[in-house]
Amino acid sequence: MTTIVDIAVNNAGFSTLVTAVTAANLVEALQSPGPFTVFAPNDAAFAKLPSGTITTLVQNIPQLARILTYHVVAGRYTKEDLIGVKSLTSLEGSRIDLNILNDDFEVNNATVIAPNIEADNGIIHVIDTVILMRPDWFLPIMDGNSI
Amino acid sequence: MTTTLTGTALPPSKHEFADIIHRLEAGGSMLPDTKENLMQIIGLYKAYAVPMDFYWRNLLYIAERVFLEPLPFFKYFLPTEYLELQNHYAGDNADLRIWRGTGSVHPELKAFMEKGETMKMPKIFHHLWHDRINMEFAEECMRAMLWHRGMGGQFDPYLDTDEYKANADKAIRAYFKFNPVMMGLYQLFPEMFLEQVRQMSYYSNLGLFWEVMAPVFFEMSDLYDEGKISTVPEAMNFLVNGIFAIAGRPIYHHVHIRGEVYELIPKSKGFTWLYEAAFPYVEAVFYRTSPFRGTKSYNAQAGQVPLEQKDFYFGILYADVFPVGTAGIPPTLLMQDMLHFLPTYLIEYYSQHCRGQDDMLIQLGISFQRSMYNVTSAVIQAGRSAFLYPLDDRNPEHLWANRHYFEGQLNRFSNPNYGMNKAARLEMIQNQEYR
Repeated sequence: MTTIVDIAVNNAGFSTLVTAVTAANLVEALQSPGPFTVFAPNDAAFAKLPSGTITTLVQNIPQLARILTYHVVAGRYTKEDLIGVKSLTSLEGSRIDLNILNDDFEVNNATVIAPNIEADNGIIHVIDTVILMRPDWFLPIMDGNSI
Repeated sequence: MTTTLTGTALPPSKHEFADIIHRLEAGGSMLPDTKENLMQIIGLYKAYAVPMDFYWRNLLYIAERVFLEPLPFFKYFLPTEYLELQNHYAGDNADLRIWRGTGSVHPELKAFMEKGETMKMPKIFHHLWHDRINMEFAEECMRAMLWHRGMGGQFDPYLDTDEYKANADKAIRAYFKFNPVMMGLYQLFPEMFLEQVRQMSYYSNLGLFWEVMAPVFFEMSDLYDEGKISTVPEAMNFLVNGIFAIAGRPIYHHVHIRGEVYELIPKSKGFTWLYEAAFPYVEAVFYRTSPFRGTKSYNAQAGQVPLEQKDFYFGILYADVFPVGTAGIPPTLLMQDMLHFLPTYLIEYYSQHCRGQDDMLIQLGISFQRSMYNVTSAVIQAGRSAFLYPLDDRNPEHLWANRHYFEGQLNRFSNPNYGMNKAARLEMIQNQEYR
């Protein structure tokens, strides 16, 4: 079985993700039957985070696991499945906002640069930015209402 | 992160604070970029960080050791163990070294704790004379977080779960194991004891939050002295990078009872500095806090205290520093603390303005307000970077999203309800003569 983990390990550009998933003890989970949809930040995405961010997270496994599980959704969803879908609930518990218009496939503030990479236990969409849970105050602020 | 937009720049904003919106979009702060502003804010960051070094240590001491002591007469008597406790973000053994200085108590704080404003004498006399660090200010910030609750993150809802209640019950029983009177009271008033434990958890939250902020401010002050921070945006960006670097720091509450550790809130819950401490702190303390009790009058019929607690606007961003410079009011307690640790360049500066030595507390209070607007700007920019788009994004839709965000943030200072827009100091800090 070629799992999500196998694809990440065997393809260039995911070394930071693999290191993080390993450190967070999530390898077994992502090798399980699932299925899962993973929004996988590539190395360039992780490199955009200010220095020290990953250091602190790798020192604190539960906190790292939380950020990583935010990138995983239960179920297998291709890009086509997600057309018209406004949001998904991540394994972390928080919502991920989606926006698919023509060729653009956006997940929160990240752009999917390579969708629909099939694994036996799910599907990977490669993203260009590490996504972070949006706090409660975010939507009211975007709507212009004072809170 | 300071960039100039070309080509895909948006048309001018129509917001009341359009100039400030454009400045934020160009990578700036709500505070104008002037040499004088930079000097004021850096000086205050340093003056704030020294008492903060006491606050975070004492907050953790109270949360972890004093805990449910019914008559905590000596809770401000910080033991050597906590003075020497290594800050996780300073010193040679730091998890992530933010400040190149020491991980134990700051030398200026140590010197002040010996002498105070008066002279070297036994601690009890310093305490009774109130010639000491005003820990009451830190407790007021903690209380603001406790009273407001619901300010976001997972820490707060966790305090109402069965799991937390079971953890609290275990700790309460252990703490009062040899105290039948308190155990009897616990049987009669279990909710009261649980609420006291929640308060202790907020002591821990705030202590862990400020443990990080102190080295950030110390490093900024050192970099300024070395000429490596020379603009307000650079100061803001240092804070933004610091916020990201430390975002994943765990937030927890461990209590030590007779040599055993009780994990009321374990690190394994995954609570983080950014979501469970920093954002709720900004919401509860920078914006809201509470009306000052005892010395200032509020006319409830005239709506001077909002009906809804979530609409409170008594934080530093709305503070009219002069009237609140009254003895005993928490911000004045902080101002008194900061007065002791002002860098020489600020003492000279304040001596030449307003009433010189006679109103230094007010002058520094206003500088402090400027510095906290800069911190708020860093939080806003960090939020933009984390949840939205780079300032030089080439997609106009992304730039519009950034603008909606900045405008939404500044709308909080334009809110006409209760006269919040008149109380907000955003406009006044644009003027260098606001002292």
